[in-house]
Amino acid sequence: MNRIFAILILCVVAFFLFSSLNLDYGHPRGGQSNYYVEHGLKETGALNMVTAIYLNYRAYDTLGEATVFFASALGVFMLLRKDREGGEDG
Amino acid sequence: MDRTSRIVKIFTRKLFPFILLYGCYLISHGHLSPGGGFQGGVIFGSAIILLGLVEGIRITEKRFREDILSLVKNVGMLIFILTGFSGMFLGYAFLSDFLPQGNVGTVPSAGLILFLNLTIGFMVGTGIAVIFYRTVRHGSEE
Repeated sequence: MNRIFAILILCVVAFFLFSSLNLDYGHPRGGQSNYYVEHGLKETGALNMVTAIYLNYRAYDTLGEATVFFASALGVFMLLRKDREGGEDG
Repeated sequence: MDRTSRIVKIFTRKLFPFILLYGCYLISHGHLSPGGGFQGGVIFGSAIILLGLVEGIRITEKRFREDILSLVKNVGMLIFILTGFSGMFLGYAFLSDFLPQGNVGTVPSAGLILFLNLTIGFMVGTGIAVIFYRTVRHGSEE
């Protein structure tokens, strides 16, 4: 049963791999990336284009990213407490 | 009881401030060169993790106390959000850049990006150190 399942998964993976061989990523649609390259330095003042995007144009996205990290750190902080006795009231 | 090699200990002591300095460099020059708050913060936290692995968790906790690290983490997140709101009082959108731009290529050139990088960097660095403390202490209890 496991072997049949493994062969099935391999077939699905092989299908998607072979169907993605001739994908073409070379033509950006919309032209938004060209806008960043042309106006990014003038509007943000940052030489690093990645930083200019993730802290100026997409700063709201970065806030969510930082919140995810903060929540995970807070989860570890809460779950692995030192003074936990019995585990019921912790 | 102490089985750490002497060479590793001495090299860690010598390397530790330079790793911290490199982390600070990556954080503060995030808008000029590759790097940024997250990457520099991870290097900042990995320096503390290296010290904890080599010197032992108790000595590290005396130097970098967990409550202070946790406080820096929480205050960093708070300052990030308050920086976003501070632009709103001046009539800009949330988290938009309201500071003037300096000369391109210098550190204070990109306005708000530097402050956001600093808060993210210190938050990530101290957060990783706190996670390391907690997991190590939890594993050593049982």
